[in-house]
Amino acid sequence: MTQVNRLKQGGRIDRSRPLKFVFNGQQYAGYGGDTLASALLANGVDIVNRSFKYSRPRGIVAAGAEEPNAVVQLGATEAAQVPNVRATQQALYQGLTARSTNGWPNVQRDLMGMVGKLSGTFMPPGFYYKTFMAPASLWMTYEKYIRKSAGLGRSPAEPDPDSYEHINQHCDVLIIGAGPAGLTAAVTAARNGARVIFCDEQEEMGGSLLDSRELIDDMPAAQWVDRILDELSSLSNVTLLPRTTANGYHDHNFVTLHERRTEHLGDSAPTGGRRQARARLHRVRASQVVLAAGAHERPLVYANNDVPGNLLAGAVSTYIRRYGVMPGQKLVLSVTNDHAYRTALDWQEAGCEVVAIADARANPKGELVEKAQSLGIRIIAQSAVIEAKGSNRVSAACVAKIDADSFSVVGRVEELACDTIASSGGYSPVIHLSSHTGTRPLWRDDILGFVPGEVKGLTATGGVRGVYPLHEVIRDAADAGVRATLAAGVKTHAEATTLPQVAARQDGEACALYQVPHRKPSMRAPKQFVDLQNDVTAAGIELATREGFESIEHIKRYTAMGFGTDQGKLGNINGMAIAARCLKRTIPEVGTTVFRPNYTPVTFGAIAGRHCRDLFDPERYTALHQWHVEQGAEFEDVGQWKRPWYFPRTVNGKKETMHEAVSRECLAVREHIGILDASTLGKIDIQGPDAREFLGRVYTNKWAKLDVGRVRYGLMCKDDGMLMDDGTTSCLGENHFLMTTTTGGAAGVMEWMELWHQTEWPELDVYFTSVTDHWATMTVTGPDARKLLAEITDIDLDKDQFKFMDWREGTVAGVPARVFRISFTGELSYEINVQANYAMHVWKTLFEHGEKYELTPYGTETMHVLRAEKGLIIVGQDTDGSVTPEDLGMQWAIGYDKPFTWIGKRALSRPDTRRADRKQFVGLKPKDAKVVLEEGAQIVLDPNQSIPMAMVGHVTSSYYSPTLGHGFALAVVKGGHQRMGETVYLPMVDGTVYEAEIVSPVFVDPKGERQHV
Amino acid sequence: MSDVKEFDTRPAGNPSAESPLAWTFHRQGVLPRDANAGVRLREKSFLGHLILRGGAIILDEAVREVLGMALPARPNTLTLDESGERSIQWLSPDEWLVIVPGGEEFALESRLRKAMGQAHYSIINVSGGQTVFTLQGEKAREVLMKSTLYDVHTQAFPVGKGVSTVFAKSTVVLRRPNEDSWELVVRRSFADYCYRWLLDAAAEYGAIVER
Repeated sequence: MTQVNRLKQGGRIDRSRPLKFVFNGQQYAGYGGDTLASALLANGVDIVNRSFKYSRPRGIVAAGAEEPNAVVQLGATEAAQVPNVRATQQALYQGLTARSTNGWPNVQRDLMGMVGKLSGTFMPPGFYYKTFMAPASLWMTYEKYIRKSAGLGRSPAEPDPDSYEHINQHCDVLIIGAGPAGLTAAVTAARNGARVIFCDEQEEMGGSLLDSRELIDDMPAAQWVDRILDELSSLSNVTLLPRTTANGYHDHNFVTLHERRTEHLGDSAPTGGRRQARARLHRVRASQVVLAAGAHERPLVYANNDVPGNLLAGAVSTYIRRYGVMPGQKLVLSVTNDHAYRTALDWQEAGCEVVAIADARANPKGELVEKAQSLGIRIIAQSAVIEAKGSNRVSAACVAKIDADSFSVVGRVEELACDTIASSGGYSPVIHLSSHTGTRPLWRDDILGFVPGEVKGLTATGGVRGVYPLHEVIRDAADAGVRATLAAGVKTHAEATTLPQVAARQDGEACALYQVPHRKPSMRAPKQFVDLQNDVTAAGIELATREGFESIEHIKRYTAMGFGTDQGKLGNINGMAIAARCLKRTIPEVGTTVFRPNYTPVTFGAIAGRHCRDLFDPERYTALHQWHVEQGAEFEDVGQWKRPWYFPRTVNGKKETMHEAVSRECLAVREHIGILDASTLGKIDIQGPDAREFLGRVYTNKWAKLDVGRVRYGLMCKDDGMLMDDGTTSCLGENHFLMTTTTGGAAGVMEWMELWHQTEWPELDVYFTSVTDHWATMTVTGPDARKLLAEITDIDLDKDQFKFMDWREGTVAGVPARVFRISFTGELSYEINVQANYAMHVWKTLFEHGEKYELTPYGTETMHVLRAEKGLIIVGQDTDGSVTPEDLGMQWAIGYDKPFTWIGKRALSRPDTRRADRKQFVGLKPKDAKVVLEEGAQIVLDPNQSIPMAMVGHVTSSYYSPTLGHGFALAVVKGGHQRMGETVYLPMVDGTVYEAEIVSPVFVDPKGERQHV
Repeated sequence: MSDVKEFDTRPAGNPSAESPLAWTFHRQGVLPRDANAGVRLREKSFLGHLILRGGAIILDEAVREVLGMALPARPNTLTLDESGERSIQWLSPDEWLVIVPGGEEFALESRLRKAMGQAHYSIINVSGGQTVFTLQGEKAREVLMKSTLYDVHTQAFPVGKGVSTVFAKSTVVLRRPNEDSWELVVRRSFADYCYRWLLDAAAEYGAIVER
């Protein structure tokens, strides 16, 4: 198909760069510089979509972010699918492939059209509201129907080949919008030396100046734009961001900008060279923000105003002047203001016929009006287009004299043959961003629009605050630029601010008109659309008010006006005006709905940025990680750490299962010797004359008499008396201790101690420093541990010299080491600590000497089994923030008689923490030796009780013990300490009921002899 | 402070040592050497790292006496000796990071302890727990902007500044010892993540990694 609507010349497109693209399966041609929308119009494509609810044919209405209809699904391949792209914002590129979001099998012959006739009654206004009120069970049915018929785009089913990123920006002044106001403010701030970020959502910067008829400094406006942009790009203090939408305006001038870096080049970022991010999310922290977002033209609401061929007046001018495209041949213009007259001038200059201008004002006058009159264009005063004729394209406009005050048609209706109706009901400042902060916009009667409310650090300028004539915009923006620069603390100098020359234009006063009256009442007239994207009509809003919805927020939810990706860009003000008319109130009394981020849809990729795939979350490695990987370890995530879970061996070509590996590892420790990488345990170095006193206050047990060279296990409670962490602390010197914490609790314990030191006990002379990463920790454990270690250390390992709960220093494998004789397995154990850089050497030396002892590496799973066999808890698994040390049966680790109080002490004397029927820590021995109970399983005393049964506890840890030859579990049971020997029951989901006996939690070596050998 | 156990964790012999990036380099095999790279990354491994905690005035006297350097008194600043090999950085109102050539740290700790006498302070050797990345090249600043929310513009981050800040989903000490380079002091267990992040962020500029 040829570009039937393309003008022979003119526009900012690059005719030397022809491009091919596909829309709804059909090939078309366009040019570089086109948007998808301008190229579709150039090719005479009238219908670009079907409407959301009624499935009516829809055409392009606007030329920018406010476009409600031309919302397409982009992407030639499955992986490249992007939903909800506005054709008016999508630059054309070679091979672009797009589909209408709605309409099946195609927009021309829409099967849903049949349903559309019905769906008007099926989904009346208030559909959502009424549906939610209906039985919830029906919602799935409704939703299925809505999704299928509405088709709000779809996400790709294949992984995205592109990469995305975030970038943090800081500046003195962020300027949003590169129209005349933004350009002037930016150049003013930049010339004064401020750090400036200047963003604009369009392909080209320049905004309205790119299709303006006006002159600046005696040159066409677009030429002035080029000059200013040249200057700005030469300045090192300016960051220019075209194709970048300011999408969210958050507190403290934190603004998120969505920059589309390669979306104008192809479906995916170019390949071949260095990898580029497809989109960037700029996280801008701006001292000052200048909002120069401009205004959206407001369409008039008349009957059948959704038939393809109904456009915004300004959009028509944009397509003609910027893209060299005629959206039609015969134009009827319906206006309320002077500025829109330029569309008639542009149309006629392009060589096509302007049938008439219907002006709602009784006596239009002003320079542009006079110009139109002098060109012989017919102007019909005090009138408007009340109805469009045509189904797939406008065929005529019904124009009549109207009386806005009585909301009625007062004259005869004249039907004017035409193919295009352009309307302008005035301008709505783009207040979305300023409203994101929560500030309410203010209505101004003089400009018939809302302007931004007060926001700290924000200066609005130009169209967004209702300043429309170009010469006033430039003066206003220069002033805004200076004020923002000063407010950012940057000195300004007068010569930096020279205003360009623009002729002042005298415009006549605009009149207020939103919904155009029809001969029939709204409920009976052909549909008058307010929100085209959500198919909200004037009648729908009337109905809402009649059904008692008076708050604009309720009307919004009742009708879906301004929902979804549209965010009320075109329709909201008209909707409020209609509500105000029906409720006999003023527009400011009705007020606006809340605008929320994002201004336009942002791809999830840009939100995720680089935080995905293997960079989704940090992976922390110990110094021995490489060895574990090379041994084929399976890994477990513990916090952000990667810890070996178990080390499966391959026996006779068959890889061990986890159960097999863990059994082998457990028996190796109990019978010979095993080794664990325990480097992830938190370690805190504590120094100071009050270190000992401090330990006594954060731990429940006593520290006054721990000698140098000794180690003690400690329990740490929150101030509510509940266990928060445990670990061993060693006395290194009289004023020097080394505390260990759980792997996951390390950072929290460090903060906890700093908090108490800094806020409660600053008088204590003590310092804490994390040394977790400095030390690598290797636990050798098992009956042969002493023999192995003795081969490579100079430390005296004699059992009477180096006893259980002692630590010694010396060298291991020639590396200075601290060795702690503590045990988490119940076996003879040495925890060897060396500086992490030398850990691999020590580890490998241990294995060189350990072969003859069958030294076996084991992971966290075996560690869990071994410690559970000994009844040793894991904080966070056997406790859950509601367990006290007494519940755990650890009275031996509580020093109620310590001279100074300690954290949690008072809470442990509360009646509730002293109850005898608290859940207490016990062991469970299943009656059936083969059974391994489920962790989390609930415990009952009477299995025959009817539901709901009285649950008295639950299983916290459960494993198969290769040492014992049966399953065993740890659990908390109400009053469990007094129930030793009793039988309890564990009913499972599948109806099975397991029986278990309450026993001591220590299953192996109850006297603790093995660790003392 | 007396009654503290001093312990030299560096072996007297010469057993093999592995820097925090050893596994990362091993896994990567060939290190990036892009032509016209916008970013150069290097690990300065096996340096001596000490954390000093105590009052500013007494610590200042001690480091002047022992190192011949002043303690940076202003928050978020860094002082270096003439060779640039020894540095002291403010971390918090009573906390400083001293980095010296590897092997000097234990002798330095002992001399500082002598100089401090009976005052209340702490000195902790963390040499095995952290490493230093040097980032250079004309795009180094852009890579940092993708990684940290701190303002790294030359106006806001002049030479001699150093901060503890967020880096991707980790934290680093970020500092500017001279005009040409940035340094990141990274915790050992996060080194691989930070390294991979930096290279990913530098993909569009090209990178050279030096060991």
